[in-house]
Amino acid sequence: MKKYIERLWNGLIKENPVLVLMLGMCPALAVSTQAANGIGMGLSTLAVLVLSNFVISCLRKVIPDSVRLPCYIVIVASLVTVTELLIKAYLPSIYEALGIYIPLIVVNCIILGRAEAYANKHTPLLSVMDGIGMGLGFTIALTLAGMIRELLGSGTVFGLRLLPESFGMTIFIQPPGAFLVFALIIAVMNAIGIKTRQRQLVESGCDGNCSLCSTACEERKAEPAESVKTAESAETASVQKGGDQA
Amino acid sequence: MNAAVNTVNLSSAPHARDKWTTPFIMRMVTLSLMPATIVGILVYGWNAFGIVALSIISAVAAEWVFCKICRKPSTIWDGSAVVTGLLLGLSLGPQTPLYCPVIGSIFAIVVCKCCFGGLGKNFINPALAARCFLLISFANAMAIKPVIDAVATATPVGAMKAGEAVNITKMFLGTADGVIGSSILALLAGGLLLWSLDIIHGEICFSVLIGFTLFMGIFGGKGFDVNYLLAHLCGGGVVMGAFFMATDYVTSPVSKLGQLIYGCLIGVLGGLFRLKGNTADSFSYAIIIGNVCTPLIDTYIVQKPFAYRKVGKTRKTTKEPFRIPKPVIALTLIAAIAGVALSGVFSVTKDKIEEQEVFKQSVAYREVCPEATSFSYNDKAQEILGNDGAETENATIYACYVGKNSQNELVGYALSVGAKGFGGQVIMALGLTPEGKITGINFTELKETAGLGMKADEPEFKSQFPGKSVSVDLVKGAPQDDNDISAITGATVTSTAVYNAVNAGLNFYETVLKGGN
Amino acid sequence: MNNTSLIMIIVAGALINNVVLNQFLGICSFLGVSKQMKASISLGGAVIFVITIASAVASLLYDYVLKPLGMDFMKTIIFILVIAALVQIVEMFLKKKSPAVYKALGIYLPLITTNCAVLGVALTNVQDGYNFIQSVMSGFGTALGYTIAIVLLAGIRSRINEKDLPAPLRGAPIVMIAAALMSIAFMGFGGLK
Repeated sequence: MKKYIERLWNGLIKENPVLVLMLGMCPALAVSTQAANGIGMGLSTLAVLVLSNFVISCLRKVIPDSVRLPCYIVIVASLVTVTELLIKAYLPSIYEALGIYIPLIVVNCIILGRAEAYANKHTPLLSVMDGIGMGLGFTIALTLAGMIRELLGSGTVFGLRLLPESFGMTIFIQPPGAFLVFALIIAVMNAIGIKTRQRQLVESGCDGNCSLCSTACEERKAEPAESVKTAESAETASVQKGGDQA
Repeated sequence: MNAAVNTVNLSSAPHARDKWTTPFIMRMVTLSLMPATIVGILVYGWNAFGIVALSIISAVAAEWVFCKICRKPSTIWDGSAVVTGLLLGLSLGPQTPLYCPVIGSIFAIVVCKCCFGGLGKNFINPALAARCFLLISFANAMAIKPVIDAVATATPVGAMKAGEAVNITKMFLGTADGVIGSSILALLAGGLLLWSLDIIHGEICFSVLIGFTLFMGIFGGKGFDVNYLLAHLCGGGVVMGAFFMATDYVTSPVSKLGQLIYGCLIGVLGGLFRLKGNTADSFSYAIIIGNVCTPLIDTYIVQKPFAYRKVGKTRKTTKEPFRIPKPVIALTLIAAIAGVALSGVFSVTKDKIEEQEVFKQSVAYREVCPEATSFSYNDKAQEILGNDGAETENATIYACYVGKNSQNELVGYALSVGAKGFGGQVIMALGLTPEGKITGINFTELKETAGLGMKADEPEFKSQFPGKSVSVDLVKGAPQDDNDISAITGATVTSTAVYNAVNAGLNFYETVLKGGN
Repeated sequence: MNNTSLIMIIVAGALINNVVLNQFLGICSFLGVSKQMKASISLGGAVIFVITIASAVASLLYDYVLKPLGMDFMKTIIFILVIAALVQIVEMFLKKKSPAVYKALGIYLPLITTNCAVLGVALTNVQDGYNFIQSVMSGFGTALGYTIAIVLLAGIRSRINEKDLPAPLRGAPIVMIAAALMSIAFMGFGGLK
């Protein structure tokens, strides 16, 4: 039981896909213009992520290694299209609210990233929990950024007006604002994280700053010998490992 | 790291000459800006003083606070914060609300400078980046309202763009409308002082001016007319930018050739934006784009180190036989299965989706043509539209329905029109009375930016349309006459799409539907 | 199709509606690869090649196969397969004909398959209803914009010394702030006609 809860906690905080692993930035930046969009996109991604993790985990012994990436992409794209068609047909009001975000899920690096880093190495049930955890982490990150951007940009949060309209700084609804808000959130998380992760510095040679590291923490812990290598080769190694996560 | 910087000089930029320390340079720059500041305050009054003073104070305070938080020694005494605050203040209009210089200065110092490590480590000009930040955030507040010439509706640059004549002498002296630091005479005095002291590089400021002049001469449409060129040089922050902003040591290239390229780039871009752009300020953006390119220029315009040789290429001569790899077969199989599954889901949901579409459309039509109890086709219109609709230059007319009431009388028309917006097609149902007046618009497809383009769906925007006929004009700001539609601030593309679509619909009425069924 | 509007499509794709700084496609590799200038240039070049050809092939497939058969819903899968195949072909081609370039690109070549920008452009071309030539120009413009953005950011990052920065800003945050400032600069192109 504990391992399943651990997966949830991992996806939510410790290895939050957007803020720590730096995956899924594309839709995160694009969609977080309003808090409500954040929730919509987050939940749709969660649904697709759970399904995709499940399917890929079930098929993990069948998919050949050299074409695994295109296979994953095909599976994910199909799942997204199926979701889109079903929602369009049977839940039209939800489609009106979310419609544009659903095709965007295909290009969400989180799904491929988790398929590559987790689902193809673990059992289906664990993969499902991982999917839920990551999906929730994504949703929370997006909603938080959405709330900040909406508040600073138009003075409302979830449509409730908190500041007068003239206080709105429209730059926050636009691209530069997206970069700035996420930089702020990640910086705050780093500040907190650097304090709480000092011991990792000793253990595995990483500098506690997770934002540019694309391997999962557990993989690093299992190979303490990595810390002896020079910075350059360590970077190459992590790039190669995480290279497929793009 | 910038190799040239590291190997040649142990200190970081700005690279001071032997006799000039950083505080000295900053004091000289402040001094050289004083004439422009004084003229600005004399001409525009206490507002101007307040803005400049507040800007400087905020900048210095922000830097002091940031150093305190980072537990580093305070750097406010090198004078660079004062210069940034002063430059930002001078680039604002005299009627700008006071929160602008405060927020701008904080952004300039904290985000553009301190976050990157402080003086010498930033890549972008803090004052200009802050100005652009303010322009985007507070578009209305930053618009320069004429103070001196109460009759005019725009600044000299705005007037020039509209084709009107301007008074060059006034602009030269600084008594025309504009930003606080717009006295060309005062700016030139300060700039030439700095140049003579070798504090700023002539390669940069003059190549900016020459590049700009050449571009305006060639592409401006008036040839090398002296008045035209002088007028453009005297307005819109060209001189201030050339002498005080582009020449910042930290954000401009190190090598002479690099500086010339950088200056010409800024001049040309400034000209391009002045002629073709519709953003509020052309030169600010041109200079910060130049800043963004500086590291690249520095990397490639460097002398090659000694004994640099290219290593020869080795060639492989073995050839491998070509086979279709097994994994490709597996991939194709998976794709085929996915395809079949998708087709299955599609065929199941296809009809339901179509049903929803039709329902959505009919709701939209009913809302814009409320008295109709049935909709039918107009033969003449159908001939033109066919199955796919008709395309005009900027829009597409998808369908045209004739609304009839229970007595089979014509009560109106409902057209489905669309145009390319920011996030895709903007499609709406356009309702017209039998006489061709708009009854309303109802969007059936609107995928624009939330908070900006999506505002088109709000009553504030939509209510402008009922009652208009024949054609509409898109204006920024308040409507001037009956057929004007106010665009949504910050959503020009969306507003233009709606305007194009509506006009296409109105035109279709005038050419096809008018005169009854 | 007159020439100026084709050029406008390229300029629009590259500068006015920059794929990375405006449309937020391809951010993942944009943030990761811009650490090294050489890698950025190589990746940019590869991306231009792949996106341009992918746009061409996708446009042809859509106009002549998918749309007439009414299989619009299959476009995502088909486009992705095309892209994956294309990258594979480019990889095999480079490996045989020009091993030096292949080695320089290293792992970045397979990375292009998962680059949101490639699929994004193919889908946008369909959405905007571009014909073949327009799709190719649009793809080229988009890829050019991507390359410009990533090379400029690489230049900026080469100047940044991590030790000068406050600790929480090291790594991703400072890169995002730099991207924010670049984005502000590029908004100057916003009003161009």
